[in-house]
Amino acid sequence: MIETPEPDLREQAQRAGSLSMTGSVATRVLGVVAIAAVGVMALLALWISPADAVQGDAVRLMYVHVPSIWVAYGGFVLTAFASARVLWRTRSGVGGTYGVIADRQARRWDRVAGAAAELGVLFTALTLVTGSLWGKVTWGTYWQWDARLTTTVLLFVTYLGYLALRRLPAESRARARRSAVMALIAVVNLPIVHYSVDWWRTLHQEASLNLEPGGDRNITGEMYWTLLYSWATFTVVALWIGIHRYRVLRLEELAEEASLEELLAQRRDEQAAGR
Amino acid sequence: MTDLSPRHPLEASGDRAAVRRQMGRRRKAVIGAFVLLLLIAGGAATIAGLRNATLFFRNADEAIAERVELGDRRFRLQGRVVPASVAVDGGVTTFEVIHNCASVAVRHSVDPPDLFESPWIPVVLEGRWVPGEVVTVAGRDTHFFSSDNMLVKHTNEYAAANADRIGDPDEPPEGFLDDCPFEVPRL
Repeated sequence: MIETPEPDLREQAQRAGSLSMTGSVATRVLGVVAIAAVGVMALLALWISPADAVQGDAVRLMYVHVPSIWVAYGGFVLTAFASARVLWRTRSGVGGTYGVIADRQARRWDRVAGAAAELGVLFTALTLVTGSLWGKVTWGTYWQWDARLTTTVLLFVTYLGYLALRRLPAESRARARRSAVMALIAVVNLPIVHYSVDWWRTLHQEASLNLEPGGDRNITGEMYWTLLYSWATFTVVALWIGIHRYRVLRLEELAEEASLEELLAQRRDEQAAGR
Repeated sequence: MTDLSPRHPLEASGDRAAVRRQMGRRRKAVIGAFVLLLLIAGGAATIAGLRNATLFFRNADEAIAERVELGDRRFRLQGRVVPASVAVDGGVTTFEVIHNCASVAVRHSVDPPDLFESPWIPVVLEGRWVPGEVVTVAGRDTHFFSSDNMLVKHTNEYAAANADRIGDPDEPPEGFLDDCPFEVPRL
């Protein structure tokens, strides 16, 4: 396969209009779709879908709580996938022209990993907050150290650590590789979080949606469809934010490069003046 | 040639090795502090979690079977509340919980959460065994469970509140009492 080099980042940014912009026609359309989808979701979740027979109106928290963690799972899986690509592209022995291309691609995957992890952390936080509120109303407590809650908070803390690691000053290639390794370790917790309700006794209920074909459905009618619709909405919103975050990360890299260029130019000028 | 070496206060001394040492130390300190913080946070969460998470509660039948080993130790008890057994007297709520056809008499000393009123709701209670003659739907017992914390363990089933219900809301969940050698009185 012949790989085409990525056009120069600076050129890309200039073509987009400005070094401070992350918007494009596509993201603007996506933004409008996302906002409209959230509006419809609010209508479905707050008015059209019924109250639950046992929990009453508290069940409406499910339409934020459950899609949040699904989107967070998606973000962390994407981070792991992108991190594997980073490690593959920056493996030793990659050099020459191919090395330059591989390095560009590694940087691109590194940005994907970073943006996706940020989304994961954001939506895990939303899951924890809505879960805690839901817990107070139904269980009678904001927090319990049961297996699901404990593994979820561990997931949150681990990925906060991952984001902190990304911010530690280091040469970009080393930083990308180091973060990628951590992302691949952190993702191990994901199936543990998901299956904790089956593996251990928990206060948290088991999964409500059985995604296996022919599996029992524990949610009836409008509630079921509202939940699926909310998940689609959250995915669109996450995609929208994610694309912007990816572009912000790209602009940060450009800004760093620009300031380095500026410093070098300044040093050359000083040198010339001194002569 | 243009001088592109990095600038640093120590640079004036001309001691490049000292500059490198200082930068290295600072970086190591930051990484060290970060790793330490991560370990403390992760460790604290794991320890707190593992202590409780591995056996978050005992079902009513297990709690009865392990009564001798449990002694007066605090533990969590899980079972479904028998609607006809609930009575409130001077701030103390008494009721029975059933799991696997084993019934435990409970004296609960704190206001229960709102969802406690739902018929046959599963609850997790924190407390201990206390000796005392009681009569439950399953027969006579020598101990009751003294509880001071109640968590409602709602199920993963959701149904519309206004849906047409078939049968009695007081009816236990399907199959829940099928194998039990006793009758449970209805409200």
